[in-house]
Amino acid sequence: MDKLLRNKMAIILFLAPALLLFTFVLFIPICQSVYYSFCDYNAMTAPKFIGLKNYINLFTTDRTMKIALKNSLFFLIFSVVSQFLSGIFLAVLVTNIKMGRNFFKNVYYLPCILSSAALGLLWMFIFTPKMGINQILAQFGIQGPLWLMDTKGFIILPMWVIAFVCLWQYVGQSMMLYIAQISGINGSLYESAYLDGCSKPKACWHITLPLIKPMMATAISLNAIGSLKFFDLIFNMTEGGPNKMTNVLATHLYEQGFKFFKYGYASAIGVILLILCLIVTFIVNKFIKIDNYEM
Amino acid sequence: MKKRGKVKASTVLIYIFLILLAILFLVPLAWIVFVSLKDDKTLFISPWAMPDRLRFENYTFAWTAGKLGIATLNSAIVCVSSVLLCMLIGSMAAFAIGRMKWKLSGLVMTYFLTGMMIPVHCILIPLFTRFSAMHLTNNLWGLIIPYVTLSLPITIFIMTGFFKGLPNELFEAACIDGCSIYKCFTVIALPLAKTGLMVTGLLTFVANWNELLLAMVFISDDTKKTLPVALSKFVGPYNTNYSQMFAAIVIAIIPTIIAYCCFSNHIVEGLTQGAIKG
Repeated sequence: MDKLLRNKMAIILFLAPALLLFTFVLFIPICQSVYYSFCDYNAMTAPKFIGLKNYINLFTTDRTMKIALKNSLFFLIFSVVSQFLSGIFLAVLVTNIKMGRNFFKNVYYLPCILSSAALGLLWMFIFTPKMGINQILAQFGIQGPLWLMDTKGFIILPMWVIAFVCLWQYVGQSMMLYIAQISGINGSLYESAYLDGCSKPKACWHITLPLIKPMMATAISLNAIGSLKFFDLIFNMTEGGPNKMTNVLATHLYEQGFKFFKYGYASAIGVILLILCLIVTFIVNKFIKIDNYEM
Repeated sequence: MKKRGKVKASTVLIYIFLILLAILFLVPLAWIVFVSLKDDKTLFISPWAMPDRLRFENYTFAWTAGKLGIATLNSAIVCVSSVLLCMLIGSMAAFAIGRMKWKLSGLVMTYFLTGMMIPVHCILIPLFTRFSAMHLTNNLWGLIIPYVTLSLPITIFIMTGFFKGLPNELFEAACIDGCSIYKCFTVIALPLAKTGLMVTGLLTFVANWNELLLAMVFISDDTKKTLPVALSKFVGPYNTNYSQMFAAIVIAIIPTIIAYCCFSNHIVEGLTQGAIKG
């Protein structure tokens, strides 16, 4: 038995395809990307090493970069906080009802599986100035704001709109992860708590929340990285407009790399994105210490 | 007696809240279907009203003039092949990590899991330049290869959990009967981890069906475009035909809804296994 499971040849055969793909499609390109970020490189010429110039340009002369960085960080904070709170809240509610549990679970999860590109078009239409929501508001005599065109304030209105649409679309994912963890909790814990006269909200606070802690780290880091990668909805709702005010790092990278073909410059944005992702994962795993409880 | 009444009130409140929220989730989706059956003129006058008569010609127009037929076919080819490949390659690696005994398994698992933290944007430019040198751009394989790779971490994560959860006795019995390790994998481990395969398959399918960025960068040929890219073309600077755009949206989201309906019951189970034991 032991010999069978230590078969080196078999281990190598099993692992080879995955390792090769991973190394050639993910790992080596990342290293290349880091190298390109120090190069003057566009579609026409070969990469030429220029040191930190791309990064210096990014942080000094590029006005859009400032906006993109601000918007990305806003997005990160908003979606981590809102999805964490509403995800747990929904998971607790849905697991505590008896009738229609599956129905609600599936309805809330539904937008997650749909194409962000398609839903982006839908919301773009709903928030166009003269149609959609504003037409309904007009019937009550209210003049709605220019949802996706407004440019006032530190965090402009279109970013809030997009952030809420994103919450609408992806809250089901966090909920599902928490539900998965909650359904793994031993039911006898609750029974003994109720026997001791514990109320439902109290049981939730003292039993459910501590026991789903391991999932919090996973869900929050998935969320945080997802929000940094965020591209489809913004691309189809505003394309970074009006006046580049709704750009995030991902859309800025796409524009620099594949509209202006500044590969080196875009790689530098990619590296900053990667660093942000690593920092966020590190922080999440550092601060949410995972204690193992017996389930 | 009084306490029971109170409990009931809170349950009713919870239900009211959940139902209102469900409406908020379903109305926009139902509305897409309504709009896709209207014509543009009534859409502009009263976007929220029911369609006066059902105009299915929006669908035929989107399908033919919007070139959605070929896009759907491309998406289907890319998704089905990447799902199958990813299931196979991912579960092979997961079996080696979760079941077999060797020193570096933990390290290799970490290597795969870091893939979850890496945003696809970082590899976009090197991958694009390399793939265009290898003539893999404007080629469906150029999408399948990165899609499989990007789906591997979550597949390996979930499948390792499943394989670890299988009872040892099964493999011991098979070993006594003279079963080879490859047979152990195909005959015992894979069928028993069916739920895991379904969940990872569904997640991979949904992610790849909806993927926009890679598809947009790698494919410029109209006959090779996938659905999400073809959708973006409905909104042009010159004319936007909204009702046809909505018909196209319906066409694009129906396959994932069908796939979800078939496999949804396994999602929580699969996530639980993968997350807790993995």
